[in-house]
Amino acid sequence: MNNESLQSDLSFDIPGIKQCQQNRYPLLFVDRIYDVIPGVSVKGIKCFSYNEWFFPAHFEDEPSVPGFIQIETLVQTFIMTFLTLDEHKGKKTNFVSIDNVKFRRMIIPGEQLIIHAKLDFFRRGIAKGYAEGFVDNQPACRADFVVALPDILRSFKPSN
Amino acid sequence: MNENLKIYNSAFVESFGIPESQLSVLKYQDIIEWDSVGHMGLMANLEEVFKIEMEIDDIIDFSSYNKGKEILSKYNISFNE
Repeated sequence: MNNESLQSDLSFDIPGIKQCQQNRYPLLFVDRIYDVIPGVSVKGIKCFSYNEWFFPAHFEDEPSVPGFIQIETLVQTFIMTFLTLDEHKGKKTNFVSIDNVKFRRMIIPGEQLIIHAKLDFFRRGIAKGYAEGFVDNQPACRADFVVALPDILRSFKPSN
Repeated sequence: MNENLKIYNSAFVESFGIPESQLSVLKYQDIIEWDSVGHMGLMANLEEVFKIEMEIDDIIDFSSYNKGKEILSKYNISFNE
């Protein structure tokens, strides 16, 4: 984070993140959101300490961050691209699809994942975009996401 | 088959993963895939392939495969041979 050139001063700590999204411990997987351009892009930080609940189970002899948690970390950063907009703050989100998932290296206790997320499209409660995670400036994981805001979708439901 | 009809059918098949043979009688919520989330995915898909922007009332009225063809005709998308 220190060597990066930032486009924005806007950032969110844990209380701020919790105001924007409804994920909570033990399923909140981003520690800080920074360089926020609401409706466009954000960056996130997740520090993985051995105290994380999953490390003793995955795996006892060789702890590493499970893939589904890497995906959650990516998407929880991605949703901040639109949940930082006043009109969407605090709304629940649902996955619609995950594509082009890549895991490029193991993430182990003591490592910090830096996530870059970008919103490509947001209309009528459907958000499309991607997030990329880096450890020590090396690509670690990435995915493309389509995420829905059910509160907004409900207003477009056909009458049937 | 009319080219627009091919594109229209493909959008349904791609959005819901169902065979084309099921389309003619398909209505909103007939299948688990056509729920509120699937509906918006279909609308986004149709807007993309036909390069249109649908009005909110049309999205709400789009309650079946056949009704959808009627609605798209308002956007100069013809399904006649």
